[in-house]
Amino acid sequence: MTASVWNHFWGTTIARTPHYNGIGRFTQQLQRITFKFCKSSGASKGVRDFIEKDLIHYARSNPGVVVYLKPRRHRGPVLKAEYLNGEEEYLYLAKRPREEIVRWVDHYTTRSGQPTARLMKTHHTHHLSIQGVWTPWTHRHPDTFTRTYPDEEASQAEKIEKTATDELREIAERLSIGEN
Amino acid sequence: MSSARRVQQWVTFGRMWYLFDAKWQNPFDASTKIVKVLSGSHKPIYHNDIDCGDHVVVINSAQIALPGDEWERRVFYHHTGYAQGASWTLAHQVHEKDKTMVFRRAIYHALDTSLLRHARMCRLHIYPDEEVPEEILRNVSAQLRQMRAVPKRLDHYTEDEVKNFPKLFEWPKDYVLET
Repeated sequence: MTASVWNHFWGTTIARTPHYNGIGRFTQQLQRITFKFCKSSGASKGVRDFIEKDLIHYARSNPGVVVYLKPRRHRGPVLKAEYLNGEEEYLYLAKRPREEIVRWVDHYTTRSGQPTARLMKTHHTHHLSIQGVWTPWTHRHPDTFTRTYPDEEASQAEKIEKTATDELREIAERLSIGEN
Repeated sequence: MSSARRVQQWVTFGRMWYLFDAKWQNPFDASTKIVKVLSGSHKPIYHNDIDCGDHVVVINSAQIALPGDEWERRVFYHHTGYAQGASWTLAHQVHEKDKTMVFRRAIYHALDTSLLRHARMCRLHIYPDEEVPEEILRNVSAQLRQMRAVPKRLDHYTEDEVKNFPKLFEWPKDYVLET
């Protein structure tokens, strides 16, 4: 799978959390987890083990998550996770051992529910600059706001060197040939 | 996007309107300054791809000053597109015909040949004198400095100023030096 196909299929995103979750308080994003399994088939063996040994402990330690069990005759075992933002995730659990299911359940419990996508970058900020973002008015002389244009003083070229007139005036001042 | 961030975006990418007084200015020198503003390369947010140029209102384009004998030497080329449609016009003839054309062509020549060239030219407003339409002038919020000082002719000084100008020495009668 090339990078562009990957991007079209999965999309790209920046690192983010739903509504600043975890800053100040944390809200469990997983709302409901449903296990569909068969009571007799071998493919559901791992799920049945999980239900026997781990499910009670899981439900007790996650009081914010509703746990459903749906036994279905002769059908493959499936995990369905529903999140606060309305997203649903399915995982086919056939022939998976109990230890692997424990890890998958932990994964779906701690997820934010936002769709999986390639991260464009591993860090992101809304505040690009601590000084404030540049605007056309940054570092501008306050005179600019008070003038009415066209303004001759604002238009004049910067004086780099003295003109002959300036030098003549200086000499006259030095010799105190006051303006008669 | 919150409203504060939306406004931040507007204020950062908002277009400024600058005024430039072309009186006694060399249009080919002034174009280096104006092109920077038109293309937005004077901004820290500048990037090749983004169209972030500002508007420039040029006044007094009738009073531009070409260096040396360029009014006689500089030639403007035009081709009608038909066979033998080429024509070459001297700068002073072009200036007689249209007081804004020499300045406009100087800017057009100095702009780089990208797809944004015509968009940038559209943001250049040239007027032969100081009469600028009110709806243009009311946008102007800053002025660009001229590149060179406007010389002041003797007849622009008042009589008092001329009379009271400090005199370092007296010239001899009829300017004849005694040797």
